[in-house]
Amino acid sequence: MSATLSTGRHWRLCAALGVLVLAAAALSLLLGRSSGGPTIGFGGPELGAVILREIRLPRTLLALLVGGTLGLCGAALQGLLRNPLAEPGLLGASSGAALGAVLVFYFGLAGGDSLLLPLGAVAGSLLSLALLYALAGKSSDLLTVVLAGIAINAFTAALTSLVLNFAPSPYAALEILFWMLGSLADRSLVHVWLALPLMIPGWLLVIAAARGLDALTLGEETAASLGFDPRRTQWLVVTGTALAVGGAVAVTGVVGFVGLVVPHLLRPWVGHHPSRLLLPSFLGGALLATLADSTIRLMPPGPELKLGVVTALLGAPFFLRLVISSRNAAAN
Amino acid sequence: MALVTDALEIRYGARCAVHPTSLTLEPSGFVALVGPNGAGKSSLLKALAGLASHTGTITWQGRALGTLASRERARTIGYLAQASTVHWPLNARDVVTLGRLAHGRYGVAPTAADREAVEWALAQTATAGLADRSVSALSVGERARVLLARALAVRAPVLLVDEPIAMLDPFHQLEVMGVLSRYARGAAGGAPALVVAVLHDLTLAARFCGRVLLMSEGRVVEDGTPATTLSADSVRRHYHVEPFVTQHESEPVVVPWRSLADGVQRARD
Repeated sequence: MSATLSTGRHWRLCAALGVLVLAAAALSLLLGRSSGGPTIGFGGPELGAVILREIRLPRTLLALLVGGTLGLCGAALQGLLRNPLAEPGLLGASSGAALGAVLVFYFGLAGGDSLLLPLGAVAGSLLSLALLYALAGKSSDLLTVVLAGIAINAFTAALTSLVLNFAPSPYAALEILFWMLGSLADRSLVHVWLALPLMIPGWLLVIAAARGLDALTLGEETAASLGFDPRRTQWLVVTGTALAVGGAVAVTGVVGFVGLVVPHLLRPWVGHHPSRLLLPSFLGGALLATLADSTIRLMPPGPELKLGVVTALLGAPFFLRLVISSRNAAAN
Repeated sequence: MALVTDALEIRYGARCAVHPTSLTLEPSGFVALVGPNGAGKSSLLKALAGLASHTGTITWQGRALGTLASRERARTIGYLAQASTVHWPLNARDVVTLGRLAHGRYGVAPTAADREAVEWALAQTATAGLADRSVSALSVGERARVLLARALAVRAPVLLVDEPIAMLDPFHQLEVMGVLSRYARGAAGGAPALVVAVLHDLTLAARFCGRVLLMSEGRVVEDGTPATTLSADSVRRHYHVEPFVTQHESEPVVVPWRSLADGVQRARD
């Protein structure tokens, strides 16, 4: 009886989050920003259609897709590692994508409407995934995979710094740094089409691992005894995350904290069930990213805040609260 | 129509955990797997559950375990790991429901059969009162019973349990041995089943189990009724303790009484 009860609660939570996501998306479509500060509405029917199609819609769609990807993959990785501190960047896909993009900048190919930037990022994330498998091997254990991810992160970060070091001009270095802060400004529907072919297979792989994540709650041995090979679950989550997050970073730069904070916040609402956490985390991530990006456009005139900066500003205090509450729990 | 091993051997690198072992375990009955620490009991149990790489063959009803699809194997053989952990603070009923994953199709909510099996397993282990509490708030013994309920909820024809009573108080030790015994006889509401339990309590093993396998140094060295396997001579030889063996209410009592000098010598080596 209670099982159906909690299943019902799960769908109510998803429905509530879905309504909030739609509301946030509508808000995001309505909000604009000019040199004079925030604007509301579209300003005339003909101009409005262009603004909506060329500017607002891609931005809102990307906020939903990228936020959702980060939330979903964060939840799946935390389930796989059975550790609430795991986040999508852990496996090196984000930093690999960032390096790919930075190299495109370095060679001066990123100007104008060039798609070389996101394509370079996609190549970078796929290369880091290939490197992860070369380092960790397909059959090895979880700890080896995480260590390989950390090694790739460190190595690609070092290479990124190297590129910055050799940047042709201070202006180029600044441009690279700004891109890495993560932003949804000035994106078009082309970026959506570029990210989706990586995101959708990534999502599907992660979702296919849902039951395996539940089984892993009881440890790898018991999961295997229930018919869920932990290596298969690991492969699904690692590959799915690398693809989807690689696609996300390729079009927006690095957006932190969403994949860490959202699953964490929602976990008690789903009874700590790893599979029931996936869909709410997707919706929660989409909601958070859309709201954060709308907040950016509401800021007073001046240089536009970067999305990655806002999510980190929102995420860090949350994290402090988490530290304090777990410290209090430990003291009791 | 049995769980049969033929020349089953388990190696961890150069070390041989289980030497070639050929066993036939009848499809119903409560079998105790006993022996000193490091004898290879858990390794053998894991191999029987299809969880340890090995040479030789294991067959269930004539079919090699390796040829069964993983989900079919999971439905056939339930396994309770030694001192297992629960990584997220799920409530106890959700933990028990995880046992039904072996039957579940993806994305489908628990069926009536799932729910019935879960409530049955909770009732068997007297954990229905804990069902809505978070497992992180349970005592070690309560959690051990919830995890046993998880393994029971699979309702597999073969149930392999590794030290199911190690964490329990005397009352619950007796209760759990009773549950496993009823499950094996098919008296718990279901068909008779094969239950193999790794145990350290020799009296409970002798009283509840019809067959006792005694392992030592990677080999099954005694195999038979409790009276023969757990005789004073056998306990002396394999456990290196002087036992106190008697009967109470015409049931065997085997109590380790004093460690023997040859065992002390071996422990030092």
